[in-house]
Amino acid sequence: MSWTFRKLVPRSAALILVILTLAAAIAFAAVSHLVSRFTANQQARGRKLYAQGLAEVSAARYDDAINAFRAALTCDPTNSQYQLSMARALRDSNDPRRLDEAESYLISLWQRAPQDAAVNLALARVAARRGSIEEATLYYHNAMYGVWNSDADTNRNKARIELVQFLLKRRAPDKAESELMALATSLPPDPAAHLQAAQLFEQAQDYPNALAQYQEILRLDPENSSALAGAGQAAYRSGNYATAQRCLQAAVNANPQDDNSRQLLATTDLILRANPFHSHISDAERNRRITTAFDQAEKRLAECAQQTGVDLKIPDSITASPLSSLQSRWMAAKPDLARLHSPGETDLPDSIMDVVFQIEQQTSALCGPPRGLDLALSLISQRREAASQ
Amino acid sequence: MSNPPGIGPAARNSPSLPQAPIARLQIPRRLFSSLEGVFNEELFFLILSVFIGIFSGLAVVCFRLAIDWTHLALLGALPQTHSWRLFAVPSLAGLVVAALVLHVFPAIRGSGVNQTKAALYIFNGFIPFRTAVGKFICAALAIGSGQSLGPEDPALQIGAGIASALGRQLEISREKLRLMAPVGAAAGLAAAFNAPISAVLFVIEEVIGRWSAGILGSVVLSAVSSVVIVRWFLGSEPLFRIPVTTFKNPTELLAYAVLGIVGGLASVVFAKSIGYLRPRLKALPRWTQYFQPALAGLLVGLIAFLGAPQIMGAGYDSMDQAMHGQYAWKVLAILAVLKIVATTFSFVSGTPGGMFAPTLFIGAMLGGAVGDIEHIFFPQLTGSTGTYVLVGMGVLFAGFLRVPMTSVFMVLEVSGNYEIIVPVIVANTFSYLVSRGLQSIPIFDLLTRQDGLILPSLEENREETILRVEDAMLPVPTTILNAKDYVDANARRVQDSPDSTFLVRMHPSGWGTVSRDQLQRFFHEGKGELTLSSVLPPQSLPSLYPDLPLDAALRYVNVCPLVPVVNRADSRHLEGVISRDSVFTKYGSPQTVAGG
Repeated sequence: MSWTFRKLVPRSAALILVILTLAAAIAFAAVSHLVSRFTANQQARGRKLYAQGLAEVSAARYDDAINAFRAALTCDPTNSQYQLSMARALRDSNDPRRLDEAESYLISLWQRAPQDAAVNLALARVAARRGSIEEATLYYHNAMYGVWNSDADTNRNKARIELVQFLLKRRAPDKAESELMALATSLPPDPAAHLQAAQLFEQAQDYPNALAQYQEILRLDPENSSALAGAGQAAYRSGNYATAQRCLQAAVNANPQDDNSRQLLATTDLILRANPFHSHISDAERNRRITTAFDQAEKRLAECAQQTGVDLKIPDSITASPLSSLQSRWMAAKPDLARLHSPGETDLPDSIMDVVFQIEQQTSALCGPPRGLDLALSLISQRREAASQ
Repeated sequence: MSNPPGIGPAARNSPSLPQAPIARLQIPRRLFSSLEGVFNEELFFLILSVFIGIFSGLAVVCFRLAIDWTHLALLGALPQTHSWRLFAVPSLAGLVVAALVLHVFPAIRGSGVNQTKAALYIFNGFIPFRTAVGKFICAALAIGSGQSLGPEDPALQIGAGIASALGRQLEISREKLRLMAPVGAAAGLAAAFNAPISAVLFVIEEVIGRWSAGILGSVVLSAVSSVVIVRWFLGSEPLFRIPVTTFKNPTELLAYAVLGIVGGLASVVFAKSIGYLRPRLKALPRWTQYFQPALAGLLVGLIAFLGAPQIMGAGYDSMDQAMHGQYAWKVLAILAVLKIVATTFSFVSGTPGGMFAPTLFIGAMLGGAVGDIEHIFFPQLTGSTGTYVLVGMGVLFAGFLRVPMTSVFMVLEVSGNYEIIVPVIVANTFSYLVSRGLQSIPIFDLLTRQDGLILPSLEENREETILRVEDAMLPVPTTILNAKDYVDANARRVQDSPDSTFLVRMHPSGWGTVSRDQLQRFFHEGKGELTLSSVLPPQSLPSLYPDLPLDAALRYVNVCPLVPVVNRADSRHLEGVISRDSVFTKYGSPQTVAGG
């Protein structure tokens, strides 16, 4: 090379730096142009591959979807939408090895936008797949309190419902219940939303709150047969038999095909008719109910003894059967029935009914679930036990 | 600054070897006269380093686009296994690359690291611009078509080529021109790797081969400015998404040590394969060189066709997937072995391309495989597959490239996670030691020697025995004269001494010497009643410290017959003396000759 740049320009360091700056600026502009064109091409290619990936996801072909999203990401590596879809495909592919990679995509998205509710929800679902209650709860909460692009309230409730379902699945009803309480306060006046909440309360075995949700539905839609049936069942399970009777009756009237409600109604009627501890009955009626229950207990005991091949005539010291022991207790209590009418025998109803309840409980354990009046007496027993605790 | 500084002596360009620079240019104070006083050569060189970084960064951005574009155009965005393209494309591209290398760009074979080092130490910083252009085109074509090579080393040489061309155009001094190559190399590597610290360390460890404070500033500036450019255009996303990495239990270091040993062994296999095959393939008739890259491409393509397309190209996507546990240990182990085979053939065939990315790939796969196997036998290990993959990358880097410091910082810089520093250091140390024990010459030195060049290396420097002043130091002489004493008293003291020269303790401080003849002359001149200090000519005898390199004594021993060696804490406390004979005796001792 016979010439150099230095021979063409004045030998001034400052001028050389100015020229170098200009040259750098020109090169910068040229590379900018090149990069923007290349990037535009790549983005177009990426969009095509992304659409292909989405199609594969909707056809549940997750392996192909992952390949397509991966290729889309090589074209446009920083595209958050691609990364999120990739993470979802990896998560939903049912390959536990892919959860790490899904999480990695999501974590990088989360680091860029920790407030993004969709990313937090996706992370929560990954954690839920792993069965991590703590992590999943954290991300579900982030999603609930994060920023949603649209329909924020609905999405927040959906996220909370998802969290409740996860917690119920992981057998954490206490945590689920507290989430449900929060959910109940934020539900819109929509029967469907309240119905879902009520069903979740039922799954969490929180029947009083389930009943409250059903009642809210009935306030919005008094003819809602599902809510009537649900309210009846929730009231029944929570021991509120008067309400249960009213709701179940209305449910059966509204939908005569509802056998479950009909069956529960029958049991509820029996409970209400057989309960000797009901406060608004006369002494005579109470004594009649105690006598009926006592007789029913004997029948149940005899049936159970026959079913299990125990001879109740043989003393319990010989058979060593709990049924014989119950028979002995029943025989010992029988003379007390006659004294029910005597004034001053205030403890007698309780002691007689204790024998009845013991017989019903033990026979349930030995001879299978009770039916009819036995079932009613068992439920009265449980309710009384719960009330005393 | 009184003297208006110039940019430096001009260097004449020659296609083969640059000549010595002409006299220093004085910048006329005409245009920008007010600024001229600001610039001296050092400052100008620093500013120039920034421009080198900018131009290298821009070049590397284009280089990466070229690779991506070539890949998309030739192999498609979504390469399918069992597609004919997988073996046809690298083979045909290999033919084109071979023709270009043989006829248009003969100096672009290999990775480019050695060429850059040779430019620094042999060719006064001269790298033909044509080489940079050729490297750009051929490496982009080779890597984009799927040859098992990486873009980092070519980017290093492209950066060095740009820097060298810029230096020649600006006619900077030969001394500075020589340093342009490493400055550009750091910029190119930092841009390609998106990791400025690792790039700076690699250039110091492998290209410059010694720690040099004089160039460090320029290297750092160019590396940082090139990374800024690359991040501006291509974003600051790391090469791979880093998984959650953990290191909880110190006993797990044993597991990482095993990884280090396995990595060291793999490094040796990889290095020995290249070292064995490269000279043999080069020795084949020239016409075969037209087909060597094509055959290497065919081999790579066949491996991909038969089910392992991950080994094609740099392989960063596959490393990313390995890091996230996408492969079982058997797949990881197979990929590591196949990558060693593919890269060895791609490299020894003379295809331009780098070994950085393949080294990382092999390390990643090996790390993942070893980690997974260890997890099978010891399920209590807490390190994730991703952690082992990351550590594995450093392990191969340390073992194969033999750059221990770069390997540690590379992992830290890439992962951005300092939690794994201890496992990385432990594993890399084992890998380095195993590799050094089984393969005495590092791979880059081996390649240089195969090319008939002998270049300095940091590893050699580290192992070199450094002679110090204390090694040649003689005991404190029995007779030390005092400058405050009279001449006749001093003359009496030396009467029975066999020595001819004596140290004199000067006042208030310092040392001097006087010979027996001088003392006798003073006495005969009737100066016996005078103090020695009043008759001695004014002198300032230099003193040395025991820990100084012995080289430091060389500049004094010809002038002064005795040089005092004093304590650093008390310069009046004499530790011993150095004489010309003692220095040369030490340099000439058989132990020194053998050690040096």
